[in-house]
Amino acid sequence: MLAHERFEEEVLPHLDAGYNLARWLARNAHDADDVVQEACMRALRYINSLRAGQGRPWFLAIVRHAYYDSLKVNRSSELAGDPDGFEEVMVHGVAEDPQLAAERRDEASALARAMEALPLPLREVLVLRESEELSYKEIARVLGVPIGTVMSRLARARLALQKLLPPMNIGRDGGDSAQGRI
Amino acid sequence: MSGHATIERLSAFVDGELHGLRRRLLARHLRGCGGCAARVAELELMRSRLQSELRRHPAPPELRQRVPTLIADLSTGGARERGARRARVPGWPWLVGSALAGSVITLTLLLVVNLVVGRIAARDIVAEAVADHVRATLGQHPIEVASADRHTVKPWLAARLDYSPPVQDLAAEGFELLGGRIDRLRGERVATLVYRHRLHLIDVFVRPLPAAAPKAPRRLRGFNVAHASGGGMDFLAVSDVEADVLNAFLARLTAETPAR
Repeated sequence: MLAHERFEEEVLPHLDAGYNLARWLARNAHDADDVVQEACMRALRYINSLRAGQGRPWFLAIVRHAYYDSLKVNRSSELAGDPDGFEEVMVHGVAEDPQLAAERRDEASALARAMEALPLPLREVLVLRESEELSYKEIARVLGVPIGTVMSRLARARLALQKLLPPMNIGRDGGDSAQGRI
Repeated sequence: MSGHATIERLSAFVDGELHGLRRRLLARHLRGCGGCAARVAELELMRSRLQSELRRHPAPPELRQRVPTLIADLSTGGARERGARRARVPGWPWLVGSALAGSVITLTLLLVVNLVVGRIAARDIVAEAVADHVRATLGQHPIEVASADRHTVKPWLAARLDYSPPVQDLAAEGFELLGGRIDRLRGERVATLVYRHRLHLIDVFVRPLPAAAPKAPRRLRGFNVAHASGGGMDFLAVSDVEADVLNAFLARLTAETPAR
């Protein structure tokens, strides 16, 4: 089978999944589009390394790499820091570009805004789990980390998201907080 | 287990990613520890909120059109070089020759060939079903009759087929009926029911039961496939939802199907 036929068969069906990941990573439609197009070109080049039935995690890993490479080119601050360090997770606001702000006002719920404010390593693991519904094993493959790291990043992502959400929407009595637990 | 469970463990528990002894120990701990049980409830609440509210961003139509053209252009440039050094595929004659060495071997080979042909036929059907699913989800008309009312969908399908497929509404269980369409499997017109589970589309191909339901592959091109029969009908479901969910859904769908 020719490379582009395999691409159409096994990669193209996952274009939505790839775009969804890119869109959550980049947080805007323009960069997501560039990242996915670059990822498709790479996927075609490396199509021989794709094992049958692994299309989705394989393509998502390529999309993720393409995004990280675009950050390196732009020397983004998103790459700063150790994703699995023990320090308190720094949750930063999103820089307000007027066009992005307008786009965000249109669609973003409190939940989506909270997701977008999560640091990159926590945001990506949560999207892969909750939006793409990948297993821990598949996420480990996409991120290139051990399953234990997936587990701890997901837990930290959920704690961080909980802090960002208005308290009345999540949690119940409010008395018992996350304090005192490791 | 003494003290409280770690948040890592509770979160993996909620994800169904804690197995065996670890899962049983934690489940026992949760029965006796209100703090950890409340934490699990919180995590579950957040999980269901994320899954119901978090928007999935589909690829814009413009990108969807651009990518195949780009890939075809890039690929034809490289194909000429590769064509020159493509290896010859080994042929069959040596296999036939050795099988003729004894009638026992020939018989065995025939049985194997029969099995393989059966599998290939099943695989072809699944391959067609997956291709239909992909075309429908990529294309402009995944649904020809859009309605959550089975009393609308069923007659629409029956009017276009020589059988009347059973249509269930399982919205209460998280599988919302979106409608139906007519597809072709192995040249025959079949009814396709379209359901939505969270962010995923599920296509269920329903046709009168064939003589023998062949063993079909469970996964193809990254999609999960489930197969079942009931009420004189054969059901083939294709989706990108998790295999367990798809199997449970299809079991539920066929359990309710009355005999014709």
